[in-house]
Amino acid sequence: MNPIQPVPAEPTADTVLADVAGMLRTVLAEYGDDDVVIGMSTTFNRDLELESIDLVTLAGLLEERYGQRVNLAEFVAGMEFEEIIDLTVGRLVEYVVWSLKTDRAG
Amino acid sequence: MVDAGGIRLHVQRTGPTDGRTPHPTVVLLHGLLTDSLASYYFTVAPAFAAAGLDVVMYDLRGHGRSERPPHGYTLDHNIADLEALLDRLAVTGPVHLVGNSYGGTIAFGYAARHPGRVASLTLIESEPATAAWAAKLGRILHRVTTELAHNESDAIAWITAHRGHNTARLAKGAARLARETTLGRDIPASRVLTEAQIRAVRCPVLGVYGGDSDLADLVPAQRRLLPDFRAVVLPGHEHSVLVEAPGAVGGHILDLVGAGAGAR
Repeated sequence: MNPIQPVPAEPTADTVLADVAGMLRTVLAEYGDDDVVIGMSTTFNRDLELESIDLVTLAGLLEERYGQRVNLAEFVAGMEFEEIIDLTVGRLVEYVVWSLKTDRAG
Repeated sequence: MVDAGGIRLHVQRTGPTDGRTPHPTVVLLHGLLTDSLASYYFTVAPAFAAAGLDVVMYDLRGHGRSERPPHGYTLDHNIADLEALLDRLAVTGPVHLVGNSYGGTIAFGYAARHPGRVASLTLIESEPATAAWAAKLGRILHRVTTELAHNESDAIAWITAHRGHNTARLAKGAARLARETTLGRDIPASRVLTEAQIRAVRCPVLGVYGGDSDLADLVPAQRRLLPDFRAVVLPGHEHSVLVEAPGAVGGHILDLVGAGAGAR
């Protein structure tokens, strides 16, 4: 519950990518993977071999970091099955940046 | 994680947080081997929560993030887990149960044991535990344990070539579960229901089937045994209709739950 760094007032794709990569390393550590390179084009399924239950864990970490503004379940629930399989870290990062901006505007 | 009578189960609960009048609880049960609560979490759960339901999802023993004991995988173990979990979560009112595949068999078993505690039952590509069900599961699980668990590399190579990378990875997880536990032997040896016990389930029951799945053939039998049964067949889908057509499946469930809640 104690993020290492506070969420910046103007989160950019770079800061969010750093956050998300850290969360993914936490999830992957359970499989003993600790030297994974994570970039915007990395796919959850094929590159990281994450299972859908791992994405539930990631959803919890995102909410812990950003609050209920960032809801991975809602983001994914609007997608087609094939879209979920091809999901990249970059699309999630864009969604997080967009959610945090939308929240301030709203 | 929730301690449900000696076993630690991974639970996700979502829904209205307005603290007003109690909201009806819906419990979502997933299927065997390759499945987990994620099949609900990323499909129908957000819409159910938005519709004002208290949504409870959990990973069955041995599956997802729940504890994986080496033994104890009969249907009765799964029903006892659900009983303990609802007690532990202090869910006292009648619940709406939704089960996908084997999860529906568990939900039906719970409803047969506690008819007064179930407001409605949705069986997605699923059926009550009968002798024919146990024999079918025995055949499927025998194939998993022999072909997958013991000749894994050949089987996985075949699945990767014919069904793709994602299915192959799910199959690896299934093989691990079959190897590490007695699930493959326990489920076909489960105690099944008598016709009288099936008939005793009098709450509204919704059956959801893929049009290309052979489970849709069960509709006449369910209609004959269950006093309040309705069926929805979604054309163009097979056994994984929940994740392939979550909008349609979720909509039918909300219709059922809404009607049930109004009657209470």
